[in-house]
Amino acid sequence: MKIIAYKANNKRLIQDTITILKKGGLIVSPSDTVYGLLGDATSDLAVGKSIEFKSRPAGKAISVFVSSLKMLQEYVEVSEKQKSLLNQFLPGPFTIILPAKHKTSLLLESEDGTLGVRIPNYDFIIKLVSEYGKPITATSANLSGDNPHYSVESLMNSLSEKKKELIDLIIDSGKLPRYKPSTVIDLTTSELKIIRQGDISVGKQNHFFSYSSEETKAIAKNIYQQIIKKINNQPLFIVLEGELGVGKTIFVKGLAEELKIENIISPTFVVSYEYPLVKKPFDKFVHYDLYNIKELPELEHLGIEEYLKGNNVIAFEWGEKMGNLLERLKSKGKVVYIKMKYLNEIKREIIVNY
Amino acid sequence: MKILSIDTSADETSVAITEGRRVLAKASNSQILEHNKWGGIVPTIAKRAHEEWIDLVIQDALNKLFKNVGVGFSDPDMTGAKTRLAEALAKRARLDSTIESKRAAPLQFIDCIAVTQGPGLAIALEVGIKKAKELAEKYHKKLIAVNHLAGHIYSCFVQNREGKPAKDIKFPYLAMIISGGHTEFVVFKKHLEFETIGETLDDAAGEALDKAAKLLGLGYPGGPVIERLASMAGNKDFHEFPRPMLKSNDLNFSFSGLKTSFYYFLKKRETSEVKQLASSFQEAVFDTLIYKTEKAIRQTGINRLIVGGGVTANLYLRKKFRDLVKSYKGSVIFPPYKYLTGDNAAMIGVAAYYHAKKGIFVKDISSLDRVPRLSLQSY
Repeated sequence: MKIIAYKANNKRLIQDTITILKKGGLIVSPSDTVYGLLGDATSDLAVGKSIEFKSRPAGKAISVFVSSLKMLQEYVEVSEKQKSLLNQFLPGPFTIILPAKHKTSLLLESEDGTLGVRIPNYDFIIKLVSEYGKPITATSANLSGDNPHYSVESLMNSLSEKKKELIDLIIDSGKLPRYKPSTVIDLTTSELKIIRQGDISVGKQNHFFSYSSEETKAIAKNIYQQIIKKINNQPLFIVLEGELGVGKTIFVKGLAEELKIENIISPTFVVSYEYPLVKKPFDKFVHYDLYNIKELPELEHLGIEEYLKGNNVIAFEWGEKMGNLLERLKSKGKVVYIKMKYLNEIKREIIVNY
Repeated sequence: MKILSIDTSADETSVAITEGRRVLAKASNSQILEHNKWGGIVPTIAKRAHEEWIDLVIQDALNKLFKNVGVGFSDPDMTGAKTRLAEALAKRARLDSTIESKRAAPLQFIDCIAVTQGPGLAIALEVGIKKAKELAEKYHKKLIAVNHLAGHIYSCFVQNREGKPAKDIKFPYLAMIISGGHTEFVVFKKHLEFETIGETLDDAAGEALDKAAKLLGLGYPGGPVIERLASMAGNKDFHEFPRPMLKSNDLNFSFSGLKTSFYYFLKKRETSEVKQLASSFQEAVFDTLIYKTEKAIRQTGINRLIVGGGVTANLYLRKKFRDLVKSYKGSVIFPPYKYLTGDNAAMIGVAAYYHAKKGIFVKDISSLDRVPRLSLQSY
C-alpha cells in the first residue's frame, strides 16, 4: 500500500491510478463528498475486494462513477424524460438508481437488477474515469454501517491490518470539507403505473358537485346514510378513485364522522390505519391508501385478507390501482365506487356507483 | 433500572436497552432494502420482516449490552448477524434453538420490558407487542406500554452510554413532532403530561415532501433529495406556493392543499426547473411550520422548543427553528444523534423510564393490544 499526496492536474497520478485499476486493485481517493474506494467496476476481482473491504451485506448495491451523461446511458436505461431531469443536477452529489444494462460486474447490481450511478462534481475523478474509459466503483471508504471518513488518518485508524492489505494506493488530500455522502435518487420507483381497472357494474349512479371540502364531507355523509339503509349486516367497501389532491381523504373524513371517528389523517406513510368502532353494526373502520402501490403482487401484501374476515368498513384511496382486488371485495360485501374529478380550483365532480 | 424496549411501529425492527436517559445498547434491522422496490412500506412484508428479525435484534442488543457494559457474556456466532443478511438467514435455524437458552442469562439483568403500543401500522405493531408480552410473562418482568409520539418527544433527551449530552429537562416545553406520519404541537408540561394543541388534519409534513419528490420524478424517500436540491438552489422561493392554514386561527396544519396546488402547477408546465421547484416547495412547507410555531410560542408563552421526528434530520429546517427561537430569546433542542430522528426503540426506552418512575405499568399483560391511531395521553 502506497500513500501519495493529491495534487490537482497531476497526469502522473492519473496514470499510476490507471495502472492499479487495470490490475484489479483498489484505490482510496478524495471525492466531492467523502473518501471513496475506487476499483474497476467491470472487474469481478476489484468489486469482490471492495465488498470484502466494506463487509457489505449481500444484495446491497454499490454505485459507480461515470464521467458524463453519455457514458451513464451506456450502463443504465434512461428515458428521455429522465435525461432532461438528470441534466439539471448532474454532475453533483447524487447517486441515481436506474435499471442496469448489465455491463458492469453483476456484483454491483441490486437484487432486482438496478445499478447506482454517479457523476461527481470532482475533476480528478471525472478525468480518471474518462481516461480509463470504464466506470469505477463509487462506494465510500468505510465499513458498511459505519460513518464515512473525511481524512485518511481517520480511515487508517479504523482499519485492521487485513483490511489495509486490500488497498493498493491511497490518495491523500488532507481533510475534506464535511459534506454529506451523496443523496440517493431512486428513479426506478418514480413512474406511476396504473393497474388494470376493475369492471364497475353500474347499478345506481349519482352525480354531485362540490365547491368546498365541507360540501364534499356532507356528500360523503349523505351517501353513507343512503347505503347503510340498504345493506344488511354486510361488510362495506368504499373504493375511491381520482387524481392527487382531488379530495379523497376529505371524503373519507366525512364518511368516518358518520361512524363517530373524528381523527382521520392520511394513511399514506404506513399504507393503512385502523380505527375501532363503538357504533355498530361494524367492528372496525380501516383506511387504506394504495398511492404507493406499483405492482399487482403488492396488493397481496397489504393485510387486506385479515380485515375481510370481520364485519368491517374499509375505505380505499387510489382504487384505480386495485386490479383484481375489486372482484374479491364484491364477493365479500357491498362495494361503493366513488369517482372524483377536478373541474377547477374550487369545483369537483363526485360520481357514486353502488 | 435497565429497560429493554421494542419498537415495530413501521418498517424498522428496533430494540434498545436503556438506563434512565442513557442508551446502553441498541440494535435494529431496517427494512429499507425490502421496501425500496415498492416505493414505501408494504404492510405484510413489514410484518414478516419484523417476525423474522425480532429475536435476532433482541439478541444483538443484549450481546452489545454485555460487550459495552462488560458483564461478560458474548455470543461470537451472532457478530455481524445484522449486517450479513444472507448468512444470518441461513444461520437462523441453528440459532433459534440456542437463542432461548442464551437469552435467559442476560435477561436477568433487565428490570422491565417496554413496547410501542401505537400509533403505527396495526400488523407491524402487533409483532413487537406479542414479543414484549411473551418476554414479560416468561421472565416475570414488568411491562410498559409506550406511545410512539411520546417517544419522539423524549428522543430529544436521549443520551449516549456516557450520559451525553447532559442537558437537564426543564419544564414546560413546546414540543413538536415532524415526520412522515405525524405533524403535531404538544405542550409538554411535566413528565408524561402532554396537551396536543395542534396537528395535521390530513397529510404529514414529511409525507408532503415525499409526494412532491414523487411528482418531480425523484423517487422515494423524498425528504433528503428535496433538501439537497433545495440547498443547490440556495433555499430560495421561486414560485410562492400557497402556505396552507396560515389564516386559520388555530395551530392545525393541512398540507393537502399545498400538494394539490403543486400538482396542478406541474401539470400546466412544459418544462420544470427541478431545483427551483424543490426549493420552493420545501420553503412553503417549512415556512408554514415556522409560522405556526411562532403562533404557538405566542399563544402558550413557552419559548423553549423540542422538535423531533424524521424531518428534523433536515439541517436547513433546524437553522430556521434556531433563528426563530433567537428572536424570542428561547431555545430549541433536536434529537442529539441522527438515528433518533427516525423510528427507534431508544426513545421508547427513555419514555418508558418515566412511566416506571411513576409506577405506570401494564396491569393485565395478556390483554395489552395495539392501538394504531393512539393519541397522546397524560398520566
